[in-house]
Amino acid sequence: MRMTTTRLLPVALAATLFGAAACGSGGGSGTTSDGRTVVKIALWNYQTTPEFKALIDGFEAKYPKIDVQPVDILADDYPDKVTTMLAGGDRTDVLTMKNVTDYARYATRGQLLPLTGSVAGLPDKSAYAGLADYDLGGQYYALPYRQDFWVLFYNKKLVGDADVSHLTWSGFDSLAKQLTTGSGASKTYGTYLHTWRSVVQAVASAQTGGDLLGGDYGWMKDQYGIALDVQKAGATLPFATASSQKTTYDSQFTTGKAAMVPMGTWWAAALLAEKAEGKNPVDWGMAPLPQTTADGKTVTFGSPTAFAVNKKARNADAAKQFVEWASGPQGAAVLAKVGLVPSYHDSSVTSTFFGVRGMPTDAASRQAMQPSKVQLEMPVSDKSSDIDQILTEEHELVMTGEKSVDAGIKEMDHRVKTEVQ
Amino acid sequence: MTTVTTRTAPAATRRRRRRNALIGWSFVLPNLLGFAALTLVPVAGTFVVAFTDWDSYSTPKWVGLANFRRMRHDDNFWTALQNTCWYAAGHIPLTLAASLGLAVLLNQKLRGVGILRTAFFFPYVTSLVAVAVVWNMLLSPDIGPVNQLLRHLGWSHPPGWTTSTDWSLPALIATSVWRDMGYYMVLFLAGLQTIPAELYEAARMDGAGPWARFRHVTMPGLRPTTFFVTVMLTISSFKVFDLVQVMTEGGPGRSTLVLSQLIFREGITHGRFGYSSAVSLALFVIVLAVTLAQFQIQRRSER
Repeated sequence: MRMTTTRLLPVALAATLFGAAACGSGGGSGTTSDGRTVVKIALWNYQTTPEFKALIDGFEAKYPKIDVQPVDILADDYPDKVTTMLAGGDRTDVLTMKNVTDYARYATRGQLLPLTGSVAGLPDKSAYAGLADYDLGGQYYALPYRQDFWVLFYNKKLVGDADVSHLTWSGFDSLAKQLTTGSGASKTYGTYLHTWRSVVQAVASAQTGGDLLGGDYGWMKDQYGIALDVQKAGATLPFATASSQKTTYDSQFTTGKAAMVPMGTWWAAALLAEKAEGKNPVDWGMAPLPQTTADGKTVTFGSPTAFAVNKKARNADAAKQFVEWASGPQGAAVLAKVGLVPSYHDSSVTSTFFGVRGMPTDAASRQAMQPSKVQLEMPVSDKSSDIDQILTEEHELVMTGEKSVDAGIKEMDHRVKTEVQ
Repeated sequence: MTTVTTRTAPAATRRRRRRNALIGWSFVLPNLLGFAALTLVPVAGTFVVAFTDWDSYSTPKWVGLANFRRMRHDDNFWTALQNTCWYAAGHIPLTLAASLGLAVLLNQKLRGVGILRTAFFFPYVTSLVAVAVVWNMLLSPDIGPVNQLLRHLGWSHPPGWTTSTDWSLPALIATSVWRDMGYYMVLFLAGLQTIPAELYEAARMDGAGPWARFRHVTMPGLRPTTFFVTVMLTISSFKVFDLVQVMTEGGPGRSTLVLSQLIFREGITHGRFGYSSAVSLALFVIVLAVTLAQFQIQRRSER
């Protein structure tokens, strides 16, 4: 008997391994044991991103016969992981579109189910901010549920009486220097400029009208001048330190190390959640993003976030139902309740947003939430990811002082024109 | 009785042999299936995909040598190749020297030698991500202890290490040497145990000093180990990915972009699996050529 077991065990193991390999791409029956339809949704950092749980709970309360199951992926790995999943024929029903560039990639490859019919059925398309960014030649393959844009977060105690409601970038530069105090471990910086290239490049693009895909980047020069001047004055954590330490903007702000931080509106929800858990003692507010010119208009940049249905979805109808619900008025109400800016907006959504416990409701914060124009962070094109790579590499070199601004811009021009065919 | 035995013996032997073979195969089979499914098939697939424009989803189109022609004009490929070669040129000799030196030192009968051996081996069993994060902190340009020490010693503007185009590759090489030397030290220690003590005794009687004994006894005795270590180091150097990805992500600029990263970026980020496979194939050919050359040199030196 023992002999038989010894012989059979490796064979059984091989069979199991082979079976596991064969069933690798998205197993599961599509229904729960109690007969509910399963909708799997690819998302990131489920535990620390309150919007997903709020949407899932809200949808399940409305549609009890559908069981929405999160497929949690690490935020940084999300685009790579989804690309790999789709390449392997994965059947996860709903895919969260983290940015418009990836959306265009999946949609043009035919990996997403068309949702043009759902868009055509919307009573008022103008109520959905960012919807136009998903228009691919008249076809839609995703519906936005969130529309983030950049504002200026500030620590009320550190900023004191200074007026941050109408800052230009040169005013921001002066104020950042003025608010910088102390030295060494006890230093408080006037601002924190995160390492993303958008902090400089997307701001310049939105406020000067510069084309990020164009191959001529002279319009970035003034904005780099501001960022480098702030850094040279010691009014922000140096780029090199932030980059090598992998510093997070959240830690700089919530530990009271930085007085002002330009960042996307999504951060408000995280700050509120942290405060509710007693992790963040900072009394904060929002102001419009500083502007290049003081003409009274607030031009900022941002990105919508959307849900799409996998073309190979196991339960496409239920998945579509979830996407339509999440991007519509009911999903928007759920999002506003956790302090996020939904794509769908009306007066009740706005009052829900400002009614969230802990949300700053002063005039500057309200003004910050009503920008005159929101430009897409990165234009959609099949060249976007290649150009993004080049612009990121050159941004690093300029901000670490390895290249002058002129040399960096010249190299961006050259590389985009020669490498991206 | 005798007749019966001679008739049945071959049949019984055959049965036993067949049974033994079956048992043998059943043990090998799980590993073989895993190897075939996870290594052999993907590698063979890479050879085919390299000649197509496959983007991971749509039907691949045969493009012949187009991906290889593109590689010839791709600045990123040449930068990555150059960086990979520089990395290998630093990592291989430095790790060899450090691990051999450590092995010779720790082969002595010293008090606490076991603790020292463990201490040097320890980084190798530590998670590579943890190693990269810790070294990023140590080498941080402003607040890192390394630069604070250098400033204390009088170097007013120490390097930016991982944020400098000149120093980022040396910083990566230093980190990888620190991590790997303990492992290769263990291999050299094993090699040192195989050298008969009589040889050292005879050399000492002939008046050979420590350097002469190292050169004429230790080095020849360690030749097989040195060869094995060099081959392993060559392969690992050309395939380096994780440490670079965590510490510098190929930057600043493209100063630490290596071939494995380019393969990942082209395939996963940009969805150009055809081109990515072509670069993989180029990397495969380079590693194969360098390894074969090493075998050739080894064979010649044995003659």
